Amino acid sequence: MTEPTESEDYKGYRDPMRGVMQRFGVTVWSEIHARTTRGDFEGLVLPRSETADADHLILKLVSGYNIGIRHDTVLEMRKVGYRKAEYKIPEEPFPVDPGKPRVMLFGTGGTIASRLDYRTGAVIPAFSPGELYGSVPELADICNLETEKLFGVFSENMGAPQYLVLAEHVGKAIADGYDGVVIGHGTDTMHHTAAALSFMVQNSPIPIVMVGSQRSSDRPSSDAARNLIAATWAAAKGPIAEVVVCMFGPTSDRYNLLHRGTRVRKMHSSYRSTFRTLGDIPLAMVHEDGSIEHLHENYQPRRDDRDAKVQIAFEDKVTILYYYPNMQPDVIDALVQCGYKGIVIAGTGLGHVNKTVYPALRRARDAGVQIYMTLQTLWGFVQMHVYETGREILDLGVIPLANMTPEVGYIKLGWALGLHPNDPERVRELMTATVAGEMTEGEPFDGYLVLQGGVPEAAELIRKVWW
Amino acid sequence: MGSGSPAGRCTLRSSPVPRHRPRASAPAPIDLNPRTDTPLDYPVRAFGEMTPQDYATLGFMCGLEVHQQLDTRGKLFCRCPGGRWTTRVDAEVLRHMRPTLSELGEYDGTALMEFRTRKEIVYQLDRRTVCTYEIDDTPPFPIDDESVYVALQVAALYGLDRVSELQVMRKQYLDGSIPTGFQRTAMVALAGALPFPDSELGPDRMLRIRQLTLEEDSCREVSDIGHRIVFRTDRLGMPLTETVTEPDLLTPRDVETGGRMLARIARASGRVRRGAGAARQDVNVSIAGSRRVEIKGVSQHRVLPRLVHIEAFRHLELLRIRALLRERGVTAELLALPQLDPPWESPLALDARSLLRDADAEPLQQARDRGDMVAAVRLPRFAGVLGHRTQPGHCFDHEIIERLRVIACLTSRPFMTHSDDPNSLVRAATWRELRAALGADDEDAIALVWGPHDDVATAVEEIVGRCREALIGVPSETRQAHRNGTTGFERILPGPERMYPDTDTPPWPVPDAWLAEIDAALPERPDVREARYIDGGLSPRAARLIIDDDHAELFDTLAPATALGRRRLAAALECRLVAWWRETDARTAPDPERLRAVVEATDTGRLHPEAYDTVFDALLRQSERTPSSVVDDWAGRKDPEAALTAAIGSLRPRLAAMRFSSEPARLRWALGQVMPAVLGQLTLADVRARLIAAFDIGEQDA
Repeated sequence: MTEPTESEDYKGYRDPMRGVMQRFGVTVWSEIHARTTRGDFEGLVLPRSETADADHLILKLVSGYNIGIRHDTVLEMRKVGYRKAEYKIPEEPFPVDPGKPRVMLFGTGGTIASRLDYRTGAVIPAFSPGELYGSVPELADICNLETEKLFGVFSENMGAPQYLVLAEHVGKAIADGYDGVVIGHGTDTMHHTAAALSFMVQNSPIPIVMVGSQRSSDRPSSDAARNLIAATWAAAKGPIAEVVVCMFGPTSDRYNLLHRGTRVRKMHSSYRSTFRTLGDIPLAMVHEDGSIEHLHENYQPRRDDRDAKVQIAFEDKVTILYYYPNMQPDVIDALVQCGYKGIVIAGTGLGHVNKTVYPALRRARDAGVQIYMTLQTLWGFVQMHVYETGREILDLGVIPLANMTPEVGYIKLGWALGLHPNDPERVRELMTATVAGEMTEGEPFDGYLVLQGGVPEAAELIRKVWW
Repeated sequence: MGSGSPAGRCTLRSSPVPRHRPRASAPAPIDLNPRTDTPLDYPVRAFGEMTPQDYATLGFMCGLEVHQQLDTRGKLFCRCPGGRWTTRVDAEVLRHMRPTLSELGEYDGTALMEFRTRKEIVYQLDRRTVCTYEIDDTPPFPIDDESVYVALQVAALYGLDRVSELQVMRKQYLDGSIPTGFQRTAMVALAGALPFPDSELGPDRMLRIRQLTLEEDSCREVSDIGHRIVFRTDRLGMPLTETVTEPDLLTPRDVETGGRMLARIARASGRVRRGAGAARQDVNVSIAGSRRVEIKGVSQHRVLPRLVHIEAFRHLELLRIRALLRERGVTAELLALPQLDPPWESPLALDARSLLRDADAEPLQQARDRGDMVAAVRLPRFAGVLGHRTQPGHCFDHEIIERLRVIACLTSRPFMTHSDDPNSLVRAATWRELRAALGADDEDAIALVWGPHDDVATAVEEIVGRCREALIGVPSETRQAHRNGTTGFERILPGPERMYPDTDTPPWPVPDAWLAEIDAALPERPDVREARYIDGGLSPRAARLIIDDDHAELFDTLAPATALGRRRLAAALECRLVAWWRETDARTAPDPERLRAVVEATDTGRLHPEAYDTVFDALLRQSERTPSSVVDDWAGRKDPEAALTAAIGSLRPRLAAMRFSSEPARLRWALGQVMPAVLGQLTLADVRARLIAAFDIGEQDA
């Protein structure tokens, strides 16, 4: 798909601009003088983004600004030099201190730490301990850090194959005697991976801390360094030996929260404080100095043994069915025909779907498909005995999952079906028992706090607590 | 070179300061004054005592960066309203900034300096003026078309080459004035030259423009105390153009004139904001042998000449200090401070707490009581330098104190004293002891600094660092202007490496149709318009006022036929219209079609000019009546002669009853009584003649 040398010379350029470049003997990294119908311009030719149009040449001016020159304005281009510079992240040896805890950082591809190629804007991940030390030297105050890059995928491309590899490595890190594990991860599906790890690696003696960033680390305002520092504190010295997500508490730079891996969800596309514990309170706060303030009384404490229960499996033929009014039964029939073995419904209200789909649900049950009910309200419990419709759905063999979130229900069902592909009863048992805090016995009164902006008491609160 | 860590200590402090030292990057060639022949023996002279030739001797050069807010509906990268100023605080957000590595794997000097200050940055939010974009919790929305259009218009007025495609860049600012840590900015146009007829150096000069960019405005600072800086976010994200000139302004007066000229031209677009803070300039100054220093955010043109004059002499004094230090054989090696923690465990510095005496001045006693750190720093062969005058009322020590205030965040003044200060806070005996302890001789200067432990550690490094920079003469800095024309340190001047592409914003092709439309409808440039008005009979002053007060469009729409008519209209717009605005407290744009009635009636001679202002006023105020009926009040009466006769008749007994000091006074009074009755219909000369005849008034003194 690529022509090796030539494509480097015209990286990202297509016709017509590429033809113009060739005509004047100009390649990427050429220093040029361009005469155009819109004036004369001098600068360095940069590679062009593959997604940008084919009409323009990007020129970096002496001032540092980039501009675009359109192909049909070019009268003449003169190459006066060539200046290619490789961008490299500076490395410094990560200081080793035998008195500090050992932490293993696994990379999955999210850019928790990265550097920018200043000319092209390309983000270069920093990952080796040396690179990380170069950009976040505070880490050396906390622990002896080792790193291993497992994948290089964006958050949305994480899936079952990655869960299996990741869980295996976490299990191995536990066995190898590390004091904590940090997992750098893209934020979009971090809660899915957190749930998967919670089920696959149970009874961990050490913290398994997932972390990411909402503002990439090439930005001065990035949350990446603070998140990474807080996560490393939690992994190296924190007392909570569970799979947790460590991300900003408020949007202000104040403290991080540790969320239980099975109750956390990304709730905003771009806010720093996007991760929230739903239907419960977070486990703890991590302060700037690394101290940890417990919020939740119940957590699994750190232990000295290495007795984790690692159960790695995942069934792909599982789905979430997000219910909407007027849903037609053929949607469910199609899933059955495609060989799906499990369906997690995100139902309305207390756990409802319309009557129209009942026959399809019955057909699915009879075909051996396991069907579970969760809520698209995200907060609250499935309660199918309140209304008659709920009771009818129960009669169809749909099993309520209390206050498990739809995403966690999906991951858990994939895991349970993977573990016991031929034992539906065992799967049902696993699904309805709490394995890793994914269902709670009740919801604390402050487990649902979506403040309504503009209301005087909310206004007063955010004035005081910096969001 | 962090080799020497004291035994048993961690080499990293708990405070998150990277151990990378700012490596003073070589100044960009563009920052160096082309001349190196500093006139070191040039005497200090006050502003106003210097001719353009004197500034040429100094090698004075200045360029402007004019920041002009655009009068658009909304902000540049979000859809919040533009131009709403507020002091309301609905919420506050707290942030910090971290430096990011530059292209060469070094921290940008400015970036690192900002990080060393370890500031808490607080943003005040008013829900009516910001959304989540401003607080960096949402990626940018598409760039505002209207702003791009106006920027292209202004670029056309400046005669610049416009780019085919805008590429939004990020320009790093770690002072906190922008919550993202960078400003989104795009190059719109480059390279042009404007005639600069008002230059002190002759009417044929040109002012070259380097570039025009479109960028988002930053926050307004509320306070900056110690480690906490507070910003208001209402202005944040407003579109503005930054116009950068070449250093073609060679006298202080030309700096002001050039700034005014650029502002006028931008205003000709009719799409830029006016009023306090809507246009601010950064002024770049250098003299022979120095390099560019940027004075930030000057919002008034009239303060510019004095400001740049004082800055030019500050450069000269710093270059004199450099010459002196070179003569004394001071080198950077003499001022090398090993990277130790704390820095007072070095040959150049010591912990001076035990050396202070009870007889030393009050501030030092208080520092002792507070448990402050007190450090003494030896500055080899610097005796007398700290007391060398650099600006009116300031010596070289001010350069150091300002650095400490900004970078070390020392706030409770005084926090430093030194051995050059005749009124120093430390007694001679204490200085002797400090000298002995530091191994200093009479050629050395000693600085004593006190404050919180960590801040003093930074301060010691900064004192030595600033003195090391004295060897290069004028450090590249941005400075803030004070009211008295002096300046103070603000930041280290950032390098071009702080600029990189904004990956959140796609390239934005400039449509040919827009450029064609803009060029076709381009307003006349003010200097061209002004020349046309003067040709048309206006005085230079009237011509300029018409343009500067935004009456030009109205003036051209009404276009009186004669030179006299144009002068009359110009005067009425300046006096009558403005008076009406003041009266109604609103700048209501008058309907040109109404005013046309008075212009035409006078042009055709139907209305005599004596009534011009009265009719003009009436047209503005009697908006419920048709313009022709208003004019007819004065121009359309049936029989002016009869009216005059009647008026004279009724005046006769009153005139007889009064006494006047002279015949002309009598005539003036009579005219004043009669004239309103026939205003606009009979000329003053006619009425006057009738009165003289009717009352037999003597004309001898008239």
